[in-house]
Amino acid sequence: MKFGRIIFSFLLVVTVHAHDRFIVPSHTLLSGEKTASVTLTASISNDIFHPDRPLGDNGRGEVPESLQGYFKRMKTVVVQPDGGTDQAFSLQAFQRFSAGDLRLAQDGTYRISLVHESSPMVTFTKADGSFGRAFGKDATVPAGATNIVRKATASRVETFVTRNAPNTRALQPTGQGLELGGASHPNDLFVQEPVSFQLFLHGKPPGKPVSVTLVRGGTRHRNQRHKINLETDDQGRFQVVFPDAGFYLLQAEIMVPGSAESGLQESWDSLFVSLEVFPE
Amino acid sequence: MSLSLFWLLCLSGPAAVPLCTLEIEVPRLAVSPYHRPYVAVWLETPDRQGVHTLEIWYEQDTWLKDLRQWWRKLGRADSARYDGVTGATRKPGRYRVTWDGRDAEGRAVPAGEYVLLVEAAREEGGRDLVRHPVTLGGETQHFQLKGQGELGTVDIHIRGGGS
Repeated sequence: MKFGRIIFSFLLVVTVHAHDRFIVPSHTLLSGEKTASVTLTASISNDIFHPDRPLGDNGRGEVPESLQGYFKRMKTVVVQPDGGTDQAFSLQAFQRFSAGDLRLAQDGTYRISLVHESSPMVTFTKADGSFGRAFGKDATVPAGATNIVRKATASRVETFVTRNAPNTRALQPTGQGLELGGASHPNDLFVQEPVSFQLFLHGKPPGKPVSVTLVRGGTRHRNQRHKINLETDDQGRFQVVFPDAGFYLLQAEIMVPGSAESGLQESWDSLFVSLEVFPE
Repeated sequence: MSLSLFWLLCLSGPAAVPLCTLEIEVPRLAVSPYHRPYVAVWLETPDRQGVHTLEIWYEQDTWLKDLRQWWRKLGRADSARYDGVTGATRKPGRYRVTWDGRDAEGRAVPAGEYVLLVEAAREEGGRDLVRHPVTLGGETQHFQLKGQGELGTVDIHIRGGGS
């Protein structure tokens, strides 16, 4: 029985955390008085910052059928330095990534998010012992299935870009999903300097420790992932010192039991943030 | 140096000598194409808070961010604070930078311990940063620093006594 549970939880992690996702800007820091532009690329890929499949589309790209439903449920949200939202930014899907230009007319920090709102699914073990899953609130489960778990999953895939002096308006939690905040600014990260962040779940400290991983880009060109594994305190706080310069993908995930009225047993939220760290 | 500069500064009367004099070498590099470096000279507190920009050489503000540490500590906060100390980029050679000890508002920077930094960044080239602790309002000091490529020798002379 115990063995079975271990297998099951392994499958669960694989399901929810199926693939790494990221949105990465061409530049995170910009200087100058004129309107600046950055190009962002987004992808679903397990090679960090090396794209594999597109992530997001504005209706102009060619979207693989397997991703159409996923993209439909995903929203692109850009919070500007003054707290307003930019409506002009969108991503177009290409075969291996999605891309879009963001114009920065304001000084300060922009937050670019791909928000996948909570959506229901069910996972189960089929009669033949293999793993199965189905999406939707009323997803049906094949006859003979066991280990049936009804759950909801949500994710945020984010990054930050700053023109001239950084500010913190766009860093404030929106209150939706798992988000990154805390004392350090995500566009002011340097090698060997202690950084303090805090995770928020639906705008509040998560109330229990959350596992966080950080992986520097370029996994495709090295043999070890050199993953940094951290655990927050129950307020979601954690500290890190980045050992090398580069882009890092921060990932975090949290599960809370579903409420009785929701009919869900588990509610999952995940977060993927691209962070750039500079040499001294 | 510029030993001559050093002695000149030592022998001059306090009234004639700026509080701080730097002689910065922009090295000649055998590279093609060659772009002149952007260079920033500034003062920080020992806990790395930016205090004052002494000098900045650049052409386009779009690339100021590449003077990464200066941009972070002082540049990005307010361009008005370095407008008065801005100059064009320099070709290879030795250049003297002087500072009277006053900030952008004309107030004397308080005596005490600081760090003086010189950063250089060059298009299609590298980046260089040298730093040295200095005491303002203390003894006369002289330091010679050596860059790693984008900066040659950097001589720092701090006049003793008050600013």
